[in-house]
Amino acid sequence: MTKFAGTIPWLGLIAAILIVAAFDASFLRPMTLIGLFSDSATLFLMALGMTWVIYIGSIDLSLQAVAAVSSVILALLIPQYGMVAIAVALVAGVLFGLVSGFVHGVLKLPSFIATLAVGGIAATAALALSGERSIQIDATPRTDSLSWAIGRTLDIPNEIWVSLIVLALAMVIEQMTPFGKAMKALGSGEPAARIAGIRIQRTKLIVFMFAGLFAALSGVVLAGRLSSGSPTIANEFLLPAIAAVVLGGTSLAGGSGGVLRTLVGTLLIVVARTGMTFIGINALAQQIVFGLVLIAAVSLSAGRAQKGIMK
Amino acid sequence: MLQLNDITKNFYGVQALKEVSLSVRVGEVVGLVGENGAGKSTLMKVLNGIHQPTNGSIEINGAKRVLRGPRDAATHGIGMVFQEQSLVPNISIAENIFLGNEARFVKFGRIDWRTMNDAARQQLAKVGLEVDPNTVTADLSFIQRQMVELAKVLTLEEAVAGNLCILLDEPTSMLEQAEITILFSVIRKLRGRAGIVFISHRLDEVIEISDTIYVMKDGAVVSRMEKAEASPSRIHHLMVGREVAASYYKQEERQRPEKQIALKVRGLTKAGAFEDISFDLNQGEVAALVGTEGAGSEPLIRSLFGLEKVERGTIELNGIDLTNVLTDRSVAAGVGYVPRERKIEGIVEEMSVQENIFLPLARQATRFGLFDFSRMAKKTNELMGKLRIKAPDRSTPCVNLSGGNQQKVVLARWYRTGARLFLLDHPTRGLDVGAKEDVYSLIREICAGGAAVILIGDTLEEALGLAHTIVVLKDGMQTARFDNTAATPLTPLDLIPHMV
Repeated sequence: MTKFAGTIPWLGLIAAILIVAAFDASFLRPMTLIGLFSDSATLFLMALGMTWVIYIGSIDLSLQAVAAVSSVILALLIPQYGMVAIAVALVAGVLFGLVSGFVHGVLKLPSFIATLAVGGIAATAALALSGERSIQIDATPRTDSLSWAIGRTLDIPNEIWVSLIVLALAMVIEQMTPFGKAMKALGSGEPAARIAGIRIQRTKLIVFMFAGLFAALSGVVLAGRLSSGSPTIANEFLLPAIAAVVLGGTSLAGGSGGVLRTLVGTLLIVVARTGMTFIGINALAQQIVFGLVLIAAVSLSAGRAQKGIMK
Repeated sequence: MLQLNDITKNFYGVQALKEVSLSVRVGEVVGLVGENGAGKSTLMKVLNGIHQPTNGSIEINGAKRVLRGPRDAATHGIGMVFQEQSLVPNISIAENIFLGNEARFVKFGRIDWRTMNDAARQQLAKVGLEVDPNTVTADLSFIQRQMVELAKVLTLEEAVAGNLCILLDEPTSMLEQAEITILFSVIRKLRGRAGIVFISHRLDEVIEISDTIYVMKDGAVVSRMEKAEASPSRIHHLMVGREVAASYYKQEERQRPEKQIALKVRGLTKAGAFEDISFDLNQGEVAALVGTEGAGSEPLIRSLFGLEKVERGTIELNGIDLTNVLTDRSVAAGVGYVPRERKIEGIVEEMSVQENIFLPLARQATRFGLFDFSRMAKKTNELMGKLRIKAPDRSTPCVNLSGGNQQKVVLARWYRTGARLFLLDHPTRGLDVGAKEDVYSLIREICAGGAAVILIGDTLEEALGLAHTIVVLKDGMQTARFDNTAATPLTPLDLIPHMV
């Protein structure tokens, strides 16, 4: 079953690409595919943070608001402080994650309630800080401080490099460190993790802080691409991010999956969305397709059968 | 009343049952024994209609039947008490007993709770359980829940007109002596109109209660014998293909503990669980906590690990204060806990053998913060060989291992970390004979290495066979303490007066 969940998304991705290519061969041109990937970078970064939260059996509904508030902070501070503005925006994301992690891990509220509340706070903060409007980032600070995110290196957009570097680091943390195994144990079963002496609260806090960090990074890259920070910049990101995680094969029940799976899940979503537009399926019908695919993905995902009924 | 003819069951190409034939008559208790994985539980599930046999037939009262599920089996008078408990925790005892059969209590479209509770009380009386049927099931102890489970199955006595067949899958593995006595008297009473199939790992019990004994090995019945012909050593031999060594508990490997105190417990008190417990434990010493269920051994051992808070008293291991710390602190200080609930608290089922072994203090296996995989693989293979963990390889998820091998993985974990205090809570529960011996050997080796062990044994014999010191608890108080290294060995009879 685990093997199954690992290969199906890849096969699905190849099938999706081939189907779209059958309608329009130009879709297979390297430039189209690279463009597709760089467009999906911001969604991918947010989904990356979501992955570990889901991996430990929780959920984080605050991430799109966190990305928005980070984009606003960046846009406000970048004219004066340059690169430091990026650091502040990222730290803000980590802090929102810390609050979510505290409310969920220490105060022991269900994660969806904790993060829904924190997301509300973050969204309001974004609105208040921005004066409820979009804040432009001028060309000079943008090229000075954000070219690492939006320029090109070796003729490949930097969004792709950023995504791949973050993915590689995340894979090392997930697969090769005690923290990674602590996350897996926590997602599989908290009582057994406790008996093994794993620091449960600390692990949860760190996972939510990582989620906040990745969401903030997503907000920063997005602000760079759009030359502005805005309280609504990441709206409509939350569900695709969750869908990317689940489609990739990370189980909503926790304990199985991982960040590499989320790469496939994100590509699958972006290819499907772009492909449906290529083929000419209208936007409303696309939502129906996404809904059906999501249900199919969750029912096939590993770990669900073992844990029986889900609530 | 029940006849199985050449039942074969295949799972994905694996033969779990091979042409098993078995008959149960009314008034007869059929004992079914075998090592873990011998096919006993699969056979029970076939009898209960959960699994359909690949080949072979089932006859009930002389007529061939296909059992479509537990409910269908029940209408034919077959009821099963499960090894894994099947009660819903957050509803009352009465609701559990009549779950799915509430119709007979419906008056004017609503359930008549009083009648249902009265009926439940009658069922509970059959098993000698005196609790209010209105009690929420989760508030009962494990043993009480087991008795409710049995009471639930006994509703068949009223519901079915004909003969009954009651299947008991390891009903005694969690029970203490007093409850076993009650269970056996219930079983004897039932024989009037029922045939019983009784599965247990405790062979003396099986011989005591059964009229006929079937021995299973690798999915097949290798022997059927009458009570008079049966003896534990003969059955052992058939089950595992070897005689039980006289040195079952590896007593010759028992060494004198060192004179160095490892654990100091002073005045430990937790209201409603235990009171004013004080003892010292030397390095290399095994101390067994004995007592009836509810005497306090269980909460005491969990408190020593930091899973439950104490109100007063201190715990000190090799000079480190471990009173009311979280489990990560006790693990770091060298405490290893092998819990009673192996599947929930012991192993992480989705994780591989290697991942489970390297779960606690994983930092020990890292270099510059990253896992040293080649060292981990070597260590895992070494431990798998040493403890005879049977698994295809070290990356096999533990969910696919048998209970005995899962338990060995939990033990291997603490052996790997070099724990100085092992807290073993029923470490051999549900294990077959071979796996038990491996566990006993390991306990001896742990002690030889200077670690201290606190043990809650499965039986008094096990506690006496392994421990240097016996601490007897009753109602949360320490009532006696025995040195078990004297020339004349202690017997259960020496302990029981202090337990009850």
